[in-house]
Parts: sequence; C-alpha cells; structure tokens
Amino acid sequence: MTDVSPAKLHPSCVSDLNQPVFDQEWQRRAFGLAVALSEFGHYPWADFQQELINAIGTWEEAPTDARGRWEYYEHWVTALGAVVREHGMLEDSYINPEDRDPHP
Amino acid sequence: MTAQFGYPSDREEASAAQVRALEALLIEKGVITSGTVDKVLGYFESEMTPLNGRKIVVRAWTDPEFAARLAADTPAAVAELDLPDGMAGAEGEHLAAVVNEPGIHNLVICSLCSCFPWPVLGLPPYWYKDPVFRARAAREPRTVLMELGVPLDDDTEVRVWDSSGHSRWFVVPQRPAGTEGMSEAELAGLVTTESMIGVALADSPPGR
Repeated sequence: MTDVSPAKLHPSCVSDLNQPVFDQEWQRRAFGLAVALSEFGHYPWADFQQELINAIGTWEEAPTDARGRWEYYEHWVTALGAVVREHGMLEDSYINPEDRDPHP
Repeated sequence: MTAQFGYPSDREEASAAQVRALEALLIEKGVITSGTVDKVLGYFESEMTPLNGRKIVVRAWTDPEFAARLAADTPAAVAELDLPDGMAGAEGEHLAAVVNEPGIHNLVICSLCSCFPWPVLGLPPYWYKDPVFRARAAREPRTVLMELGVPLDDDTEVRVWDSSGHSRWFVVPQRPAGTEGMSEAELAGLVTTESMIGVALADSPPGR
C-alpha cells in the first residue's frame, strides 16, 4: 500500500463527520445501478467488489505524480463497466445513445 | 459542492456520461427497466438507514441475552427485531456485530475498498472511503482515534475489523453512564452512526 504517513485525514473526517454521501447525482446513479444489477441477479456482488478493489488498488499503486486526484466514484464507475463487460450484459458494438446519429 | 470535494469538471462530466450511457444501454437491451435504479435507490434511502442500527444497539443495551445472540449470529439476531423487510438482502447476510466493553474498543474499516453494513447503517460517509483514512486506520488505529477525539486510556485494547464481502462489521458502542431509566427512544438518540463504526463513543445523555 502507498505510504501516506505525512498525509492528513480527509477534512470531513476530523471537522464534520456528517458529510453528504453523494456529491453528485451521477455518483448516486452509479451506486444504484451497481447494486440493482447485483440484486436482480446479473452478477454476484463479490464480482463487482473485486473489480472495485482492482480499480482502487491500481490507483493506490500508481506513482503520486502519475495518477489523478482521488475520486472514489470514478473507481466505482470503472468497476461497473468492467463487471458489465465480464458478464456479457452489453456487446462491445453498442453505441451510447447520446453519441448516435439521429438521422442515419 | 464545497471546495474540499472539488475536482476537474471534465473528469466529472466523463464519469457522468459513462454512467448515463451504461444505464441507457442496459434499459435499451432490456436488462433493467427505466424504474429499476430509482426503485433500488429509493429502498436504500428509505429503509436501509442508521435507524436500524440504533434499534439493534438499544436492544443490545437493554437485553444482555440479545447482545450475546447478536455477537454469536448477527443476521439471526437482527431477524428477531421488527426491522424493514429485506434486511437479509443487500449483503445483510454478511452482517457481523462486535461489542465494545470496558477495556476493548472496536473500530470498523475496509482497507481494500468500501464494504459497509448497508442494512443497518445506510451508506458510508465520504471519509470512510478516503485512502488516507483507510490506510492510517489500519496502520495506526490508536493515533487516528485520538485525532478524532475518542478518549482511550492506555489499558484499552483497540481491535480493528477489516470489512470484506464475507463480513460487514458494525460496532455496538458501550451504553453511556447515567442512562438508567431512559426510554428506548431516548437511548436511540444517543447512538450515532460514527459510534457504530467505532470512530466515536455513543453520546452522553443531556446534562452529563
């Protein structure tokens, strides 16, 4: 694990324990989507969790100057994309509806 | 959004777009419906809250035999209480309680990701997922607890419980002094989420 000894705890930990759980709506939907897919039997939660551990571990092992700022829900989204691919829920050829030509 | 949570808006937008796309594609393919995510979020936000944890702790404070059953088989003991349906779902089958007692203070962390006892505590606070908290609480729990203002005397042993997919720990804090004769509702008001993670003690009753 990265040595973080000189670093301080996140300010929300020492100054105000009751911080909002979700900072943005996309974080809330990413959480709900991951849980919903597991609850409805599309994958065991352990599979999502392993992808989350992998995504967080990759960030923690990267050199400090080569990684972006910590943002927990980015790792959540990475894990969600990975587990959806692994379980074959979407083919690679799917195009994001936002990116489709409206008049093909 | 406060400054301490600020991060570049292009990353923000990229993540938001990725989530929108995933949900839209899964709806289009028929894996989920347009209401699925809202239904699950609604259930989490209305039923899986720290109110459940407070009821469990108060019962343990007022019924020592329940406290013993709670420590021995947490899901079975939780099922005895009149809590919302679905407590066994959403990872509730992996709930595991640890009980503070004189000389023993328990602290719950998740060193690898963010496992949390959702059915009894709701969703974890931001700092629980923070890499510095996760690393430091695992390595120097006593120092971290002192920084957070938890009074620990030298004789108190700190036990750290690292959550995982198999065990989602929560803490039964010690019942504060001076609470004899308080109602269950009054006692529940002393049980904070932080005390059930182990980063705080239960609140003292008013006037003490």
